[in-house]
Amino acid sequence: MKLLDKLFEQQTRQLAQHSSRRGILKGLGTLLVGAGTIPLLPVARAAAADTPARPVEEGDEASCDYWRYCAIDGFLCSCCGGTKNTCPPGTEMSPVTWIGTCRNPADGRNYVISYNDCCGKSSCGACLCQRDEGDRPPYRPDKTNDINWCLGTASAAYHCSTAIVVGVAFEEK
Amino acid sequence: MRLVLALGLALLGPLVWGGDINPQRAQFNYQMSCQGCHAPDGSGANAVPRMRDQVGIFLASGAGREYLVRVPGSAVSALSDADLAEVLNWIVQEFAGASVTVPFEPYTPQEVGALRQHPLNEVMAYRAQLLADIASAK
Repeated sequence: MKLLDKLFEQQTRQLAQHSSRRGILKGLGTLLVGAGTIPLLPVARAAAADTPARPVEEGDEASCDYWRYCAIDGFLCSCCGGTKNTCPPGTEMSPVTWIGTCRNPADGRNYVISYNDCCGKSSCGACLCQRDEGDRPPYRPDKTNDINWCLGTASAAYHCSTAIVVGVAFEEK
Repeated sequence: MRLVLALGLALLGPLVWGGDINPQRAQFNYQMSCQGCHAPDGSGANAVPRMRDQVGIFLASGAGREYLVRVPGSAVSALSDADLAEVLNWIVQEFAGASVTVPFEPYTPQEVGALRQHPLNEVMAYRAQLLADIASAK
């Protein structure tokens, strides 16, 4: 009997010395936060890959070094009363555009960018940006940005360019 | 097996079976090589032909089927034969809708590779004649 008593006493004291009531709380807390984080892991994002890309972004869209402008040639609509996605008031967005890909430094992925021109007013003149990455000579008309892309609009007068994310670039695995 | 599957699907109603399509790759190639002019939903713009609910009309004749590969946007694109075949099959599957009136046999890379060796020059006139022929054959 004494032996059993001693054994249990030893075990209990050891437990009391090496654990704390707060430790239980800490463990429970970790479990709660951890469970909450699991849906944020890439598994969930891969499953939702079909939804349109809304990339995490950084940088100033009114600056030529903004990531989406890697293949642009023109005036930034962000400096002309519009935004990277929208035309300034009084202009019409061309449905015919030239399209390229740019690498987003925030997540390291390549996105498909549509450089829709805004048309119907004379040149904006602010924030001229010519990065031209991937620009091809005019014998590749769909990949040259030296031509006026104000096609399909009421007026062919070029005002400024937007840079709209239309998808994620496909990469062979 | 593929033929049986295609026939089975055709008998069940839908006329379009696009073949082995990787939809992400096909859409990306569409975006990079076609969408700039034909618009994200294939609706075209002004002089750019509308593909949505119309592109299937060409599949009603052999010359029409060949036209979709020989048209310069296809034939001289930077896409490989396999990628071009896939994006054409994807376009038919995504945009053709009820304009497809005969069972669609997917384009193969071999077929596309041979046809694109003969790109069209006078596209507008050829296209108009083709559509007139298809309409009168009905």
